[in-house]
Amino acid sequence: MSKLLSPAKTEVLFMGNEAIARGALEAGVSVVSGYPGTPSSEVIERLSEVARERNLYVEWSTNEKVALEVAAAASFAGLRSMCVMKQNGVNVASDFLLHLSSSGTRGGIVLVECEDPGALSSVNEGESRYFARMLEVPLLEPASFQEAKDLTKWAFELSEKIRNIVILRSVTRMSHASGNVICGKLPEKFRTARFISDGSVMDPLRGPVVSTPVVIKHGLQQKKLQTAAGLFEKSPFNSYTGPKRPELLIITSSACFLYSREAIEMLGLQKRVGILKLSCTWPLPEKLLKKYLRLTDRIMVVEEVLPFLEENIKVAAMGMLKEIGMKTFYGKMDKTLPSAGELNPEIVVAALSKIMKVKPASLPAAYVKEIQKVAPKIPPRAQTFCPGCPHRASFWNINTALKLDGREGIVCGDIGCYAMASLWPEIGFHTVRTLHSMGSGTGLASGFAKLAAFGLDKPIMAVCGDSTFYHAVIPALINAQHNKADITFIVLDNAGTAMTGFQPHPGINESAIGDPLPSIDIAAICRGIGAKVAVSDPFDLEGTGKILTSFMAERGTLKVLILKQACALSPEKKGKKQFQVKVNEELCLGDHCGCNRLCTRIFRCPALTWDREKKKAVVDEVICAGCGVCYSICPQKAITRTEVAQ
Amino acid sequence: MVELSLKVKENSQKFLKKYVLDEGLCTGCGACVSICPYQVIYRDRTVQLHQCDLQDGNCSAFCPRTPADPAALRKMLFESADLTPEIGAVKGYYFSRAADPELRATAQHGATVTVLLELALSEGLIDSAVVSTRNQEFLQEGVIVNNTEAIRKNTGSKFTVSPTVAAFNRLVTKEAGNVGVVATPCQALALAKMRISKTEEFENKIKQLKLVIGLYCGWTLSVEKYTKLLLDKNITPESIRKMDIPAGKNVLEIFTDDGAKAIPFEEVQACVRDACQYCMDSTAEYADVSVGSARFAGSWEEVRQWNQLIVRTEKGKALVDLAVKKGVLEVRTAPEESLNELKAAAVNKKKNALKNIIRKSGSVKNLLYLDSRDPAVLKYLTKEVFNKKVK
Repeated sequence: MSKLLSPAKTEVLFMGNEAIARGALEAGVSVVSGYPGTPSSEVIERLSEVARERNLYVEWSTNEKVALEVAAAASFAGLRSMCVMKQNGVNVASDFLLHLSSSGTRGGIVLVECEDPGALSSVNEGESRYFARMLEVPLLEPASFQEAKDLTKWAFELSEKIRNIVILRSVTRMSHASGNVICGKLPEKFRTARFISDGSVMDPLRGPVVSTPVVIKHGLQQKKLQTAAGLFEKSPFNSYTGPKRPELLIITSSACFLYSREAIEMLGLQKRVGILKLSCTWPLPEKLLKKYLRLTDRIMVVEEVLPFLEENIKVAAMGMLKEIGMKTFYGKMDKTLPSAGELNPEIVVAALSKIMKVKPASLPAAYVKEIQKVAPKIPPRAQTFCPGCPHRASFWNINTALKLDGREGIVCGDIGCYAMASLWPEIGFHTVRTLHSMGSGTGLASGFAKLAAFGLDKPIMAVCGDSTFYHAVIPALINAQHNKADITFIVLDNAGTAMTGFQPHPGINESAIGDPLPSIDIAAICRGIGAKVAVSDPFDLEGTGKILTSFMAERGTLKVLILKQACALSPEKKGKKQFQVKVNEELCLGDHCGCNRLCTRIFRCPALTWDREKKKAVVDEVICAGCGVCYSICPQKAITRTEVAQ
Repeated sequence: MVELSLKVKENSQKFLKKYVLDEGLCTGCGACVSICPYQVIYRDRTVQLHQCDLQDGNCSAFCPRTPADPAALRKMLFESADLTPEIGAVKGYYFSRAADPELRATAQHGATVTVLLELALSEGLIDSAVVSTRNQEFLQEGVIVNNTEAIRKNTGSKFTVSPTVAAFNRLVTKEAGNVGVVATPCQALALAKMRISKTEEFENKIKQLKLVIGLYCGWTLSVEKYTKLLLDKNITPESIRKMDIPAGKNVLEIFTDDGAKAIPFEEVQACVRDACQYCMDSTAEYADVSVGSARFAGSWEEVRQWNQLIVRTEKGKALVDLAVKKGVLEVRTAPEESLNELKAAAVNKKKNALKNIIRKSGSVKNLLYLDSRDPAVLKYLTKEVFNKKVK
């Protein structure tokens, strides 16, 4: 049995995302949708595992906007639903979110967005809390694992109470860390879906679900927000710990509550500094805030990433200035804390010790000495494509084609593992020049291709993964075809949403819970819009190279090359080698092959290592995935491959 | 000059890119290709696929467009008494032709190259030869031949560049025995630079080079431009059987399946590879023998049947003597005025090259890949050359 279905009152070690999933189950959620993205993906993954037992419909949608629409439909039909995404997914969903928050909802609906401060697994440090303020919906931020579960469950109740969507925000250290959670009861009854829409447009439960009349509905939306604020005033999720008259009040939320608590302990400031932990962060519970702002003159706001809480608290404090008096605020706005990157207890300790004029306890000298001795011995582990990764071969092909073409063509990157080619240029053989949001590579390429008239006459390429293709590339591709953009568009089709853990996408013939589904053929879509399409195996360097060079020579149209090869870590491939690969030491010329270690220095497959004593290349058989591509790149044919009987 | 040599040490491949490829000096000879996986020839361009970080790689050491020590090269290859400033070492200067008239009909002019190559192979002086071959388009590549049939399949001038040295590099990577190469001046220079190269790992490879038959060369054509020109004239590359530049007619003759066609010379010259205008060598000065078309008074049909032949080394002399002795090559002494004409033409090429180099570098002090201290360069750094630059 999945631990997600643990009986009530048992204490279970849950990852933050599992706690959120459990909370949703306890709330009786029926429909869960989302698009994969670190650090959010486990919420849906775990729920998909219990979908049959808990009568859930779980869907990996094409993109976040569609996912939110799918979840909203369930809400309109009176079910409880949840939509899960990473921070920048909210940007994608935001257009619908604007209209949804205005039309209002019926069954409880929660948008879970997991943010990635420090961009550990992102190419942005997007702050989506501002959407809550901008689109006027309530925002909740759990500050412990127990709270992650409890607050999720309560978010559904809140949503149903105010008949509007509620945003629940997590961060990497909340979603991916684990803690003990005492489980609540799982409901025994399941709701049935009924969509009643024949009532008046002003009837929130029986009328058509629309955002018009806009001004009236907007006013209603704001009343809902006031209701939420009222509930927040009494919510047990907001709490104060500390002395009656603290010298400094920390106001904080989410993982930063844990950092703040630890920092206070580390500095032994328990009797001097208090913490007001807010888990209901928009709209702010102003009465509660007033009560604690009165306790002291010095306030520090600790949060990730932007000063969202800080701004809102300052605005609120201005309105109650007469009652609370002048305050000194510390936070991001005065640079006490950084407003870029992750926070951690050490950063909070540094800020606190400065304000409180205390010295942090230093580490024992012997310990520091030992660290300094050991630290340089830790081998650096560079980011790179896995052994057998098709992307390495694809970028090898692209680089070769670009170089042979000689016009210094531009490749626009996109989001997926292959984004590493932009982040660490040597991994992609210095080919990829741009990297933005999902689908943007193709849109940018479409634009670059129109700059020839202004003097930028170079071959333009764009790459995107299979999941990204469905997510946001199609409109850009249609744009390119319609506007006769001369681009070579390359789909790096590795048969799944590989980077986030092989979640299925529309090209895969399986649902989130493993049911058969029809797959949508990328080549057919591209042919359908009138593009010239070729399909090749990136491991076939010669064949792929020929297509690429011929595509670049063909001017004036959109050309599509689909490079199909499953990810080396994909479930169907993992552990199965197509080839047994070896280095023939006699043939390997080592340092003197004149190739200056093409295999280990340029091709950089982690399975190709260098024997420093023999000065020859060696295949690390343990991690070699057996793709055999290195056989094709060795100029001496010193790398041999033998087909392994399957 | 000194400065450039120092830069070579920094990173050979970057040097090659900055001072040869980006400057449009690359001859496309193939010397830097097939010694490593980083440089390749694509169509008639040298392409650097990946960055190599070797400090003193063979690529820039062998390139005929990087600084060299010409005095050392000459000393290694030739007897000092034979050296002339205009056309390099001359042991003997002849008109020559194949004794076999059938061979003359298929090969270029007197078929001297074919005769010498066949002889060198049949006598076991070499085990294989590297010559150039042309594909359906105008793309050439070096090809390894070791029998008469293969040699005769690839006779004739092609006028575009062939990365012949790349094929040589491929051949000598493994034990190939003794090798002969038919080389243009830039290719012969590259091979000479290989011979003087001190790198241990290349020593065994270059030892296999036993014979260089040089070809006179005034220029080569850019494949891209030339193909376009021919297309404009409705000539498909695959229909071409033979090409020639007849004396005094100012045209390029093209013999196709549909008959002979002549293209005005100025149109052809517009297709000349940029790199060729900076070349000082029209007679393949670093070869064992050099062969070109003959120029003497008489009907073109007669002249066309002959070659000019410069014997430069002992090895070259021995081969030519043997050919005459075996009766496969007819040789006649060329008149003095013919040699003088050749020298005048060679000097003209040198001066033009210097002029173009100075125009490109913007300074008499910067002769790009050439060494102003080299007497063979200094001699032609005349006022005339300067003045042209000022203009």
